[in-house]
Amino acid sequence: MRAGRAAVGKIGRRRPVLLYAFLAASMLYLLVFIGLPIVYNLVMSVQEVELGNISDLVRPFVGLENYREAWEDPSFRTVLLNSALFVGANVVAQVGIGLALALFFAQRFPGAHVLRGLLLASWVLPALVVGALWKWIFATDYGVANYVLTRLHLISGAIHWLSDPTVSLTAVTIANIWFGTPFAMILVAAGLTSIPEEQYEAASLDGAGPLARLLHITLPSLWPTLVAVACLVTIYTMRAFDLIFAMTQGGPLDSSNVLPLLSYQLSFQRFHFGVGAAVGSFSFIIVLAVAVLYVRTLRRESEG
Amino acid sequence: MMRSLRRRIGSRGMRILCSAIGITIVVCYLFPVYWMFASSVKTSAEIFANPPSIIPSHPTLAAFRQVFESENVVRYMRNSLAIAIPVTVVTLLLGASGSYALSRLRTRLIGVALVLALILQIFPDALLATPMFIMFRHVGLLNTFTGVVLATSAKSLAFALVILRPMYRQVPAEIEEASRVDGCGTWQTFWRIVLPIMRVPLIVVGVLSFVQAYGQFVYPLTLLSKQELQPATVGIYSFIGAEYADWDRVMAFASIFAIPVLILFLLLQRKIVAGLTAGALK
Repeated sequence: MRAGRAAVGKIGRRRPVLLYAFLAASMLYLLVFIGLPIVYNLVMSVQEVELGNISDLVRPFVGLENYREAWEDPSFRTVLLNSALFVGANVVAQVGIGLALALFFAQRFPGAHVLRGLLLASWVLPALVVGALWKWIFATDYGVANYVLTRLHLISGAIHWLSDPTVSLTAVTIANIWFGTPFAMILVAAGLTSIPEEQYEAASLDGAGPLARLLHITLPSLWPTLVAVACLVTIYTMRAFDLIFAMTQGGPLDSSNVLPLLSYQLSFQRFHFGVGAAVGSFSFIIVLAVAVLYVRTLRRESEG
Repeated sequence: MMRSLRRRIGSRGMRILCSAIGITIVVCYLFPVYWMFASSVKTSAEIFANPPSIIPSHPTLAAFRQVFESENVVRYMRNSLAIAIPVTVVTLLLGASGSYALSRLRTRLIGVALVLALILQIFPDALLATPMFIMFRHVGLLNTFTGVVLATSAKSLAFALVILRPMYRQVPAEIEEASRVDGCGTWQTFWRIVLPIMRVPLIVVGVLSFVQAYGQFVYPLTLLSKQELQPATVGIYSFIGAEYADWDRVMAFASIFAIPVLILFLLLQRKIVAGLTAGALK
């Protein structure tokens, strides 16, 4: 490794102009098409931006008025709570089920790897297709979910999955857990392979059973991976838009609405672009906080 | 570790039992995908049968024929490709060169650039849509493929940089040294020696950015209002937006749209998995 690094250093020092140009091109692109929108969003969040002045470059400054308006919007608190429930349930379920599946498929049996890989098929589907598919599965009268649950005697009457405000959030949460869990599982599986074998051998010699090995070796060694995966799931779930938009559009009555969707609705359906930007900026801060935690976890993991 | 975990399952009977459980898990888990295809080949009478038939009794391609004839599927698919292909090209051009620089330069800038790429990668598209819409309005990029391609590429570029850098680090420095001794410059070394070695990771990143751009929904929805420019994601959405939907046709459209992605996935599954884990956790 050290020899490799020294050589890399030499290459870098000898003629780095082209490499700096390479780096600059990528970074400039990211700054213009992601960095600039983020900054512009912050600017818009303290301006009055409506359909009438959308083309103007200079708009009236309104301070934190948009944030106040967002906060006082009755939708906002519902949506904030929904987002917390949606993200929380997804993190617990995706990491929990992902861990269980990863442990199971790490056992040696014929076809273990192929079967584990096949699960990822749900994750490669476009999110909008997944949303359309689950909208059909959860259809009240002809949907297969109500049919299967009735056959299993788990429910007595048809559930209005997508039109009943008390269950719509559950419906989109189930669909998103199905969508994201295989990815969490693959990441946990990668973490499993990095636990040194000697630890298990030593434990076996000491007479530790499977449960003791799981509790005293696997889980403690896997902890940093699980934290990193939980951060990633949080980030990906905070982003969920297509799936919910396809299934319920956030309704009925905001019962399955989440922050990115509310920001979109404020901007593109109610044309309160400034308030939409304020909700956006508010969400950026949450995402950024999770991202910092994620980067720190990765750093600690690579150092340790 | 894998070996020791595996060794714990002793008997042959146990292994077969595990295989059976594993197959059951996969079959149950992927039932929704099966349901999409099964629904797409049902007749419009069978689709609304109660109770639903798990196996289509009279499989037919009628729904496929109908969506091809009346729903502009060809146009929607063409638009999806007109967005996804340029995104893949832009991502590979900038991503391959940018991550090479990230892996070879040794300055303080690299740490900053990496954290920047990581952080920019995570911002939700739906939140960037509002500022993007107004910025693109100012410069006349609304209702153009260029606008959607530029916006979508930013996301996949950040992802490509994060995923490719650790892979460039695995290219032995001796090979580049040897190329230098032979008198090749930085560009020739990169183009003739390093890129060919990186062929497989670049294909994986290319496929992933293609799939991501192909399934992109938020940017086309907000940046393209002209129906004749909209890609298949927006097409499927407008199909199910109504309270009532012809689900056999929706599922036929969804199947047509999803099949290329599933085929790419089955072909490259192992490499995609390896690439994803390297990018997300290292």
